[in-house]
Amino acid sequence: MNLENDLKRVLRRESPPAGFAGRVLERIEAEQTHRRPVWWRAAAASVTLGLLLGGYATHRVVEHRRGEAAKEQILTAMRIAGEKVRYAQQEVQQIGTPRP
Amino acid sequence: MRKTVLTLVLTLAVAMPAAAQQINLDFPGLADRAEEVVDLTIDADMLRVAAKFFSGKNKDERAIRDMISGLKGIYVRSYEFAKAGEYDMKLVDRIKTQLGPSWKPLVTVRSKKKDNVNIYADMRGDKIHGLVIIAAEPREFTVVNINGPIDIDRLADLEGQFGIPNMSHKDDDDDDHDH
Repeated sequence: MNLENDLKRVLRRESPPAGFAGRVLERIEAEQTHRRPVWWRAAAASVTLGLLLGGYATHRVVEHRRGEAAKEQILTAMRIAGEKVRYAQQEVQQIGTPRP
Repeated sequence: MRKTVLTLVLTLAVAMPAAAQQINLDFPGLADRAEEVVDLTIDADMLRVAAKFFSGKNKDERAIRDMISGLKGIYVRSYEFAKAGEYDMKLVDRIKTQLGPSWKPLVTVRSKKKDNVNIYADMRGDKIHGLVIIAAEPREFTVVNINGPIDIDRLADLEGQFGIPNMSHKDDDDDDHDH
């Protein structure tokens, strides 16, 4: 019996407090006025795009420098290796050649 | 189980000689005594990156690009000293002892005044799959290890091309040659 009374009390129809609808409308309006304007959103998108493009460009520059440095290293290695092999080949070719 | 182990052992035995052999080119303390040091370690990744920077339109660049395309690594250690006797000639033997049975001596040049050059090739069939060049002068010690298939004649031809200066020794002296 007590449970039935409690349920009735808890689930009874109640009117909203005075000014409730007004406060809800006010809040909706306030949220709408806080939304960023279109130009602001466009600017944010531009900055994001700029950052992405900038990052990609930086990556390309770093890769380019890395590639150029590796190329220089390969040329140096090939120069040293080629020099030694050429020297050995010349010495071998001189075998049997009359010396002045 | 025994069959699996046997298969694994056989696979490893076949794969190991085919695997790229990298020579230990670590010479502790040598760089400190040298006046000039060139220490280059160019691995497969670097070779792949650099290959894109050799133009396909230029003949010389194309030649180098083709030459490095199959390589797994290039390792150079070169030390130039202020005076003679700054390094132990046993270093040459230390490198030679690392070479496996597939490595054959291609050229040995002995000279009293100039470079003593030893060129070893990793021969598999009639193809060279690696090269070790050891050049020992009184004031200079250089080791180059090229890991991967390489055409030795094309390597020698590169000198004097494409900004690779011609630095071959022009002087004659009394030398001994073996090959």
